[in-house]
Order: sequence, then structure tokens, then C-alpha cells
Amino acid sequence: MIGTAHDIMSKVAPPRAVFVDHPVGRTFGPPHDRARNEAVLARALEELPKFSRSGEIRDPRFQWSIDGSRAWEDELLAEMRNEAKG
Amino acid sequence: MPFQYLPVMAQNSAPKPPRVLVAPSKPAWCPIKKPLDESRVALLSSAALRLAHQEPFIPREDFGYRRVPSDPSAAEIIIDHHSGIGRVPKQDPEIVFPRTALANLQKRGVVGDLSPFHFSFMGGLRDHDKVENQLATAITSDLKQAQVDLALLVPY
Repeated sequence: MIGTAHDIMSKVAPPRAVFVDHPVGRTFGPPHDRARNEAVLARALEELPKFSRSGEIRDPRFQWSIDGSRAWEDELLAEMRNEAKG
Repeated sequence: MPFQYLPVMAQNSAPKPPRVLVAPSKPAWCPIKKPLDESRVALLSSAALRLAHQEPFIPREDFGYRRVPSDPSAAEIIIDHHSGIGRVPKQDPEIVFPRTALANLQKRGVVGDLSPFHFSFMGGLRDHDKVENQLATAITSDLKQAQVDLALLVPY
């Protein structure tokens, strides 16, 4: 599994999981960025031989923003709250 | 600390009780038999993806799945999942279903081969027994038939 929701992945215990610290719904990067899509997928697949037990979540330290800013969390929260209203 | 989705989901579902998350009833671990560059790979997506001519998914109660060609040039993909966060991935499904990226990795020799089809189903289904014993079992049969070595699930 390659997923963005660490708290959910830890509850459902997939056999092998790679955490991508991106907003949900943007696992492989922003829209229309094919280089980034491929880079994220390739990096996640590099984790494959490193798993040793079921339920392990590996974290290759992906960052959504180049500068490491987590401002995206506020934007995502607003988006998810709008979703609930909508 | 990673973003915490569960509290937001619980708030969003109120006054209904929050979604129950369930782990598989049996251990799902199986050993990797081949290196990645010799493996045939399929994508699994819970975004309810399909091609335009395929039957639309029925929200919340569709325990079927659709085969999506692994060739990125094959027809445009539609996302049927009802999640509100779908606004962005509906602009470009590749950000949740990296069909082109996987095909490029296969061309570069990073991945051995592609399954002729990838597979998609409706995420967020609440009947976990049906998911495990009906939906997952049917997809597993297709994966075996396609001689897939590695199934890569991208949750939506």
C-alpha cells in the first residue's frame, strides 16, 4: 500500500505500507506533474525489499512543500470541512 | 507529526457514529518471490475508477470492480468515488492512480512487467465481510489469472 493517511493505515494494518506525507487525494503529487508522480512512485517502491513484518509502515520522508512547510494542512482541513457542509 | 484524518472524519460524520476501521481477519503477509525488475505489477485503487463505457459505480453499495487497461494511452479515466476531496484528483487521476508513472518505470526497467489491467473498486464500503470475502476474493482471482507478482494498493 502507498497511502497518505498514517493514522488510518496504522489501524487497518496492511501487510506492507509506505507513508507519503502529502494531502489525501494527492498521493503522487500535484495535478499534471508527471516527473513528480514518477519520482514518488519510484521512491516508494524502493522500500519494498526492506519490509520484514506484516503491518510495518515505512516512511521515506516525503514532503509536499519543498521548504517543508505544513501550510497545506490548514488548506486540507478547510477542504474537508467544506466537504462535510457540501 | 502526520496529519490526523480520523478526528476530522469523525467530526464530518457526526451525528452519525464515526466509520469503523477493520484490519484483515487473516494475516495478509506473503513473501516477495522476485525482485521488482522481474515482477509483474498491478495497481489497485479504491477511487472507483472506470472507463467511460464501463458501468458506473453505485455509491456506498457497489461491491464490484472494474478492470482498467494498464496502457496509459487507453481511454480517459473517470472517478466515481463520492468523496469531496475528489475535486483535485478529478482534474488529473494520475495523482491517485499512477498508471503513466508505472508504465514509465517499466520502460526504464525498474519494474519488470505490467499487468494488462489494473483494478479499481469503491472505497469506504461499510460491509467489511463482503469486502474481504467477495470483493477482495474476486480481485485476487483476477490477479492470479494475470500472473501478477505485486499488487500495489493506493487508497483514495
